[in-house]
Amino acid sequence: MQTLSSQPAARAAPHPARAAGWRAPPGLVLAIIAAGVAGVIALWWRDTPPVTGLGDALTGAGRILGLLAGYGVVVLVALMARLPPLERGIGTGRLARWHAMGGRYIITIIAAHATLITWGYAVTFHQRVTTEAGTLLTSYPDVLMATVAAGLLLGVGLVSAGLVRRRLAYETWYHLHFYTYLAIALAFSHQFANGASFVASLDDRVAWSAMYAAVAALVLWYRVITPLRRLGRHRFRVAGLRPEAPGIVSVYIAGDRLEKLHAEPGQFFRWRFLARGMWWQSHPYSLSALPRPDMMRITVKARGDHSGALTRLRPGTRVLAEGPYGAFTPAQSRRGVVLIAGGVGITPIRAMFAAMPAPAGRSVGAATLIYRASHPRDIVFRRELDQIAASRGAVVHYLTGSRRQLGTDPLSARSLAALVPGLHRRQAYVCGPPGMTETAIRALRTAGVPRRRIHHESFDF
Amino acid sequence: MRRAILALGSTIAGIAVLLSFKTHSIATAGTPAAAPSTPSGTGSSAAPAGAADAAGAAATPRAARKAKTAAGGHRTVTGQVAETARGPVQVELTLVGQRITKVTMLQQTDDGPLSNQIDATAIPKLINETLTAQSAHIDAVSGASYTSEGYIQSLQSALDKASAS
Repeated sequence: MQTLSSQPAARAAPHPARAAGWRAPPGLVLAIIAAGVAGVIALWWRDTPPVTGLGDALTGAGRILGLLAGYGVVVLVALMARLPPLERGIGTGRLARWHAMGGRYIITIIAAHATLITWGYAVTFHQRVTTEAGTLLTSYPDVLMATVAAGLLLGVGLVSAGLVRRRLAYETWYHLHFYTYLAIALAFSHQFANGASFVASLDDRVAWSAMYAAVAALVLWYRVITPLRRLGRHRFRVAGLRPEAPGIVSVYIAGDRLEKLHAEPGQFFRWRFLARGMWWQSHPYSLSALPRPDMMRITVKARGDHSGALTRLRPGTRVLAEGPYGAFTPAQSRRGVVLIAGGVGITPIRAMFAAMPAPAGRSVGAATLIYRASHPRDIVFRRELDQIAASRGAVVHYLTGSRRQLGTDPLSARSLAALVPGLHRRQAYVCGPPGMTETAIRALRTAGVPRRRIHHESFDF
Repeated sequence: MRRAILALGSTIAGIAVLLSFKTHSIATAGTPAAAPSTPSGTGSSAAPAGAADAAGAAATPRAARKAKTAAGGHRTVTGQVAETARGPVQVELTLVGQRITKVTMLQQTDDGPLSNQIDATAIPKLINETLTAQSAHIDAVSGASYTSEGYIQSLQSALDKASAS
């Protein structure tokens, strides 16, 4: 932070302001999505003559599901379009969870849509279901393409499901997701060619296309153009590497006017290192220190192919940085803060710890950091953390050793309460592997911390 | 898992409710659908309006024309041929005044047994909707998009002709 003092005054505050744009409240986002669903149903209602008989009812149900699916895929893409208000207000982790849940739902209703339409047409036109399925594929415009699209979406869905996902490299999973764009494009035309709501109404076709075009534009802007513009403006490049612990390395990234990014402690960027074999994939890594106007730092544990390759990066390598993302940023709390980090989850917590204001009065408990690692040699930043603690009057507890060695869980409600005075009044921030995050959250809840004051991020997406 | 079941359950329930309301609305839609069977009622109501116009100050040409045709009784108007991917579609309307009392198909898609089968179901629905709506703003029939599109197109051209003559 010292270098900041030479900068024009504005950004030299002891901790970064929580400004940097509007945060969309999750409730509002859900309300907007729900309003869209209501609109889609209204579209069906308006364009549907009274239902007579089984065939009509089945087709009607199939049409509602089809419209919902056509709307749903747009919502799913929009959630992943890296829209800054969503990233700030909802957080990347929660957006990814919504996307995963929504994805499973949409795939189910696409399957139901195809089944019900086939069955409904078969009843209405007095055909066998199998015959009608053949007719639909061969004689109805663009239905074959849409069927291919449904297959692609189903494939992506299966790959993303827990069981398969864990066996795949992050890269494979990430790139398979690009097929969803292809699927959405393939499925688009059958909606207008066959959809009874669209055949008769140009206005509806225009409105529906506008919805797709708007989301496509957002994706293009925030996922492609913005990172390129950022590269042009900030000229990110690798400045150097520093090993922190066995298998853990810090990457220093230099750039120009980085303060303009308004990155906050706890946030992350998606990094794309333009080196051979790495340029085609981007990975989310948290900032592990407060960003300076000329330098940022990430700290990465070498696990996958990609994070392993990071250790061989050469200084000067250009970097595309998408971000900053993440709603996992510290709120100012007068009642004190407890930070709980597990393993390499220390990276965002380290940046947040450095941003903690020194206690202003007796009523404020000193910021407390609890750092859990299975072995003392896995502890990174020990010197930095101790320095920060000393200069801010904050407290660090290192909890090392496996549960078996300790004979007790160091992240139990009882031991947390013993370590942190006034725990139940504090804001809590937890970051670590999924299992550890869950344990810590449960312990905090047991210790009386209300859910709304527990903020967490697991690096799992 | 519980969330998934909840989401699917509420979707199914929601669709069931929507469909049952749509079925229910037949009862209310039935009344206007019955109207075309009594063209005399509308004809006579149009006549005094026309007479009032003729006697009164602001007799627009349009109103006068309306009165004339109403007095003339039935007339038929032929729509343009709408070319679809499954063949031409053309309708003929029978009107009393501006009221559509009958729709006749002069041409309908003829693209093999599938197309005929679709038309056999879709066209009665389209005609029924036309008589209810009394305009070309009717809903397409699901599963019969070409027929619906062609029908609506030809119907619109016939109505344009009817209001111009």
